[in-house]
Amino acid sequence: MEPLIGMGVLALMGVAATIAGASEDLESDVGSQSNPNSQVQLAPQMMFPHRIYNKAVSGEPPSNALMCAIGATGAAVLMGEFNLSPLFALVIGALIAACVHGTYAMTSTMGRAASQSRFKQPVYLDMIRSHTPVIMAYAFITTFCVLIISYMMNVVLGHPFPLPLLAFIWGITIGAIGSSTGDVHYGAEREFQQFEFGSGLNASNSGNIVRFAESGLRNGYDNSWFCAKFGGPVTGIAFGMTVFLGSWITTVFDPAVSITRGWLSAVAGIIIVFILIIWNRKIEVAARNNYGPYKEDKPEEEAAA
Amino acid sequence: MIDLAANFLWMFLVVIGGVLISWSVHFVPVGGAPAAMAQATGIGTGTVQLAAGAGLTGLISAGYMMQVVDNLPLILASGTVGAMIMISVTMIVGTWVYVYGVGCVPSSAKVKVDPITHDRQDLYVSQGTEGHGLPTVSFVSGVIGGALGGFGGSLVYYALLKVGMGVAEVDANMIGLVAIFAVGIFFVNAVIPSYNIGGTIEGFHDPKWKKWPKAVISSFVATIFCAIVAVIAILQLGGL
Repeated sequence: MEPLIGMGVLALMGVAATIAGASEDLESDVGSQSNPNSQVQLAPQMMFPHRIYNKAVSGEPPSNALMCAIGATGAAVLMGEFNLSPLFALVIGALIAACVHGTYAMTSTMGRAASQSRFKQPVYLDMIRSHTPVIMAYAFITTFCVLIISYMMNVVLGHPFPLPLLAFIWGITIGAIGSSTGDVHYGAEREFQQFEFGSGLNASNSGNIVRFAESGLRNGYDNSWFCAKFGGPVTGIAFGMTVFLGSWITTVFDPAVSITRGWLSAVAGIIIVFILIIWNRKIEVAARNNYGPYKEDKPEEEAAA
Repeated sequence: MIDLAANFLWMFLVVIGGVLISWSVHFVPVGGAPAAMAQATGIGTGTVQLAAGAGLTGLISAGYMMQVVDNLPLILASGTVGAMIMISVTMIVGTWVYVYGVGCVPSSAKVKVDPITHDRQDLYVSQGTEGHGLPTVSFVSGVIGGALGGFGGSLVYYALLKVGMGVAEVDANMIGLVAIFAVGIFFVNAVIPSYNIGGTIEGFHDPKWKKWPKAVISSFVATIFCAIVAVIAILQLGGL
């Protein structure tokens, strides 16, 4: 393939991945999924009933993998058996996935809220009605973008894995990235804003999530509004970087040209990883110098006494 | 006729790959739900989830490489590098979120000084938490974990595809079948170490890391069965 066309495809994939990452994270903030949801579930048991959607269909990687695999299978059938244009097939596939995801989201939030009735947790039907379409919309964007990435890898870059399998694996990856990066912003900051910034979450405050908004009770919209400022975009950057850098090294140093080029691509990848390790170290040192105050460093004898 | 003995070498490579995956999971610094609340050191997600995310990204790179070259070291290197890139990108963005979004300083609660940078850790741990963020030692440990996972996953895929090449022409169906088995074997071996890790591990400096031989032996046994089933299925279904 022409190197310029390869770079263009790569750029498109990077853009689609960035959008997918951001929407994946915001979807898990509106509906409250993954690890931070443990606090949403714990809150009523600690006598803090709330008005936050509580879906947590499963861990984010399996639920996204399910969505993307359903979408890709639908699209593959439509393209293969009904000769539908890829654009329509991918949209319809993503639509099917969003509907399935909406069903899961609704049943899980109703089940969870209903099972906590003994802790006086209400089932807010109006909240479920208003939030579910937003969850489905985010799920649609995520699935559609992942399908675009997988389709381009499969058809344009000539990746040997079939479309549903590629979508499945990218679904696992996008879920792992979303739950590792953007969700921390929701779980460690947005849910516990009433405690001092930068203090982490003291174990004794577990379950004491913020339940009141600027006006009225806090809901999933308020959480996604906040996380859209930082958690969502950085998740997008993370997934975009993974897709882009992972393919960039083999596009620039094409192993099909010669084995040496293939080895150069591996070396380029290792250099990127080293740069990231050094960057992490720089951030660590800078944060320690600028933040604080920390515990006093007591001499050992004094501490023992 | 299913001839397992003829495929002994490939089954052996599958088992080695499975054992490497199991070992790799011990290196990945995951804090589970507590880390997502800045209550424990590591990445705020589950063990299996992150290890699988990284290893399977490596599988995509290795699958692409195997399409264009037939050079085992290069295929393994490509899987290793793909997984390393995914996990380091996730960790660096995780650090952004912890430092700029949550305001926590990376610190480990399991060791007093970072074995790599020799910086004090205990001073920076917030009250009531088990550390937070990703100190340098955890980051490096995560990169090693990603590398081993990507290497193991690619080895499993390579060996199973070689089994398939022995019975039928390589086409999309064959690759799909082989890749699904590789993903399945990856998950089996990513789950087994979770019982050692119990939700949180900071990396190779964590006392829990020393328990790895138990998981590796269990994975060795489990992968032998997986390898037998995978080889029989691929030989029988070969090209479907």
